Amino acid sequence: MGLNYYHIKKNILRARKLVIKSTSIAGSGHPGGSFSMAEILGCLFYKNLKFDPKNPSWEDRDRLVLSKGHAAPGLFSNMAVAGYFPESEMETLREFGSKLQGHPDLKCPGVEFCGGSLGTGLSYSIGIALAAKIDKKDHHVYTIIGDGESDEGQIWEAAMTASKYKLDNLTAFLDRNFIQQDSYTEKVMPLDEELTGNDISEMWKDASRWKTGDKWRSFGWNVIEIDGHRIEQIDSAVSKAKDTKGVPTIIISRTVKGKSIEHMEDNPQWHGKAPDKDIVPLINLELDSQFMIAPSIIAGDMTNLANEVKRCVSGRADYIHLDVMDGHFVPTKTFDFNKIKELRSLTVIPFDSHLMISEPEKHIRDYAEAGSDIITVHTEVCDESSFGEIHDWLKQNQVGVGLAINPDTDLPEWSYKFLASLDQLIVMSVFPGKSGQKYIPETHEKMNKLNSILNEHKFTGYIEADGGVNLENIGSCFEDGARAFVGGSAIIGQPDIRETIRDFRNQTLRARRKLLIEKAHQLGESDLVNKWIGLHVVGEKKDQITKIAQEEGLL
Amino acid sequence: MGDMRTEYAKTLVEIGKENPRVVVLGADTTDSLKTSAFGKEFPNRFFNVGIAEGNLVSVSAGLAVSGKISFASTYAIFLPGRAVDQIRNGIAYPSPPGKKGLNVKLVVSHGGLSVGPDGGSHQQIEDIAIMRAIPNFRVFIPADTVTVSKLVKLMANEYGPFYMRMARSKTPIVHSDSQEFQVGQGITLRDGSDCTIAACGITVRMAQEAAETLQQEGISCRVLDLFSIKPIDENLLEKAARETGCIVTSEEHNIFGGLGSAVAETVSERYPVPIKRIGAQDMFGESARDNEIPLLLEKHGITSFNMVKQVKEIRSKKL
Repeated sequence: MGLNYYHIKKNILRARKLVIKSTSIAGSGHPGGSFSMAEILGCLFYKNLKFDPKNPSWEDRDRLVLSKGHAAPGLFSNMAVAGYFPESEMETLREFGSKLQGHPDLKCPGVEFCGGSLGTGLSYSIGIALAAKIDKKDHHVYTIIGDGESDEGQIWEAAMTASKYKLDNLTAFLDRNFIQQDSYTEKVMPLDEELTGNDISEMWKDASRWKTGDKWRSFGWNVIEIDGHRIEQIDSAVSKAKDTKGVPTIIISRTVKGKSIEHMEDNPQWHGKAPDKDIVPLINLELDSQFMIAPSIIAGDMTNLANEVKRCVSGRADYIHLDVMDGHFVPTKTFDFNKIKELRSLTVIPFDSHLMISEPEKHIRDYAEAGSDIITVHTEVCDESSFGEIHDWLKQNQVGVGLAINPDTDLPEWSYKFLASLDQLIVMSVFPGKSGQKYIPETHEKMNKLNSILNEHKFTGYIEADGGVNLENIGSCFEDGARAFVGGSAIIGQPDIRETIRDFRNQTLRARRKLLIEKAHQLGESDLVNKWIGLHVVGEKKDQITKIAQEEGLL
Repeated sequence: MGDMRTEYAKTLVEIGKENPRVVVLGADTTDSLKTSAFGKEFPNRFFNVGIAEGNLVSVSAGLAVSGKISFASTYAIFLPGRAVDQIRNGIAYPSPPGKKGLNVKLVVSHGGLSVGPDGGSHQQIEDIAIMRAIPNFRVFIPADTVTVSKLVKLMANEYGPFYMRMARSKTPIVHSDSQEFQVGQGITLRDGSDCTIAACGITVRMAQEAAETLQQEGISCRVLDLFSIKPIDENLLEKAARETGCIVTSEEHNIFGGLGSAVAETVSERYPVPIKRIGAQDMFGESARDNEIPLLLEKHGITSFNMVKQVKEIRSKKL
């Protein structure tokens, strides 16, 4: 039923860690391009793709062709997470005798295409799609091509061919990360327009400068343009592609090479280089410290929530927090699932429904069916049995499951057994009921205690800070372990929500950089701090991080 | 005389009727290759991908990995000559468990110098060298239409990548309809004890003529049709070396890497005897009108007259 957003995200994180582990052990490989397509592969593997890891040659499986074959570690990692082979086998990447070759290879059951020489995978996919048409099979062919790869003339030969044969059973993804081996794509061979200077960020932002979509449209393709790191957009694009008949679809996915690791992001050096072993723990910590910002729309104009949702989307919120209050569990009443259903039709952005209601077990289905991507219920109105029911039902229906505790509530012991599979824990830092309250400072102390319980019970979900979170305290919330931040009036109440969310991110980023500097210092003192900072060669990151390190006295 | 392309297309239609897995692909030369006949019969199993040979090869590979038997055709100069990467990495290299390469048959026309009027740019004299060097590929050069028909059927039944090079012009029939063809097996067309001529393609008939002439001069010359260049018939060659003591090879291909090289490699390992290679002497062809093609071949020494001459010379070098 649901998008399975949190499940997908968790698996993508696992896969990213395997990319780092395997390439660092191998001493070579391509992490940059593996990370730019991480969400695309994740969404395919854990949502859209029809496959059976126990029967890799199942005739009716969907086919996934990684035309940009150098990103093999990304493909293999997801195959490991999906169960084709044990994750430990990733340690044999590029090793003599391993089925995990430097580039995708049929030697590894489940791999559909021997990649390596660029520009050929789309033609090959056309062959597969034509065969499916001859055989009247309805499996789908997904092909991932690179933007550097699009220099190859054969990509355009294939573009014409797929169009000629009306291959609506073929969907291509363009991993548009703007970087190829030598440099930025728009310097080596512009797909959009020639780049002067070194800043691709402006081009990334300015849709009027993108011409790649026009190229594909002129070749007769259905073109969908998305942010290739947003799972909900990928999923929605795939659905649209499958619904489009008579023409092939290309999903032009704007991505960031090396996505999630600051020193790799947008850095051409990381096209084909493995991380040093001493940097690996820092990379893993950075991967574990990804964060999300979510506005809570009840702090906005309650008479026009549709407009608030639109503001959140254009403001680039990660998801939207929906406070459902029933006038019983809390004195206030906001809205119920009917409103959520109405808002759902406006956007695909994930909805985080925070149910501040009594007897939530009676209403879970309504909220799930209305389009919630995660549903959080309060421990105060659940017990082991009722939450067990809620938990199992949501998991079965691909909806994330969360628990919330009030400021004066401790995590009940009955909840411990659920912690390992919980997607989110909301630690309320105000008393629920109305927006605009001040953050309760005792929450920090409470978080300390909570963290040891969560560690002990292998919680891997997001801790969501909710209540009075603002620019001043978001850093300390991050230090407490929160990785999702709900902003009420501090975000939605601001005139420029995009600017505000950017400020929230920067503030949180600062806290994350500090955490990483501390970790580097702990592992290798100032030598490692210096080495790590030195990796941040793109933009002004190096100066910014150096300043933090100096302020913290760790340089 | 028979037309190889017509025979190829006729056989494709025949096997297409028996085997629904057969698909045929072309690159804007389907009228010339006559494969459009297959398209008329089986429109949903026939694909013309335009003048895009890399695309042709990769699409064929995708069909093959999905269980089809792909026959992809155009002129020799545009397949190995242009799309060697797609052939190597897209057909030969990918090996599903327990198999070697993908089930694609590259069948080309217009091989060698006898292409004639189109000139040196279109006379592929390097394809055998290229295709022999690629693992998992088997390489055929048929001498006549009988061979074409039998080899097409053989390739359809035998899993794996094949390359077969046909001539542009009509060719004389050298084999009887009952002749059997197997991968890696040469055919002894004429027995002899003084020398062997190992030939392929259009030079097989020349070799027969040369042997006839030599016979009249009292020289007994064996003639082999080595249509299977890879794998080559090593036993037959060793036997010829032992029994006749010297070998002349002939082909319309550069002397580097073609049939001559394959024979020399085998014989020098199994039973070294003097060898002389007839073929393009490491130089390109040029235009020649249809009636002038013998002149073009003569310039490169690819004639029965030269075979006679070389046989006589090499006999004196016998060990």
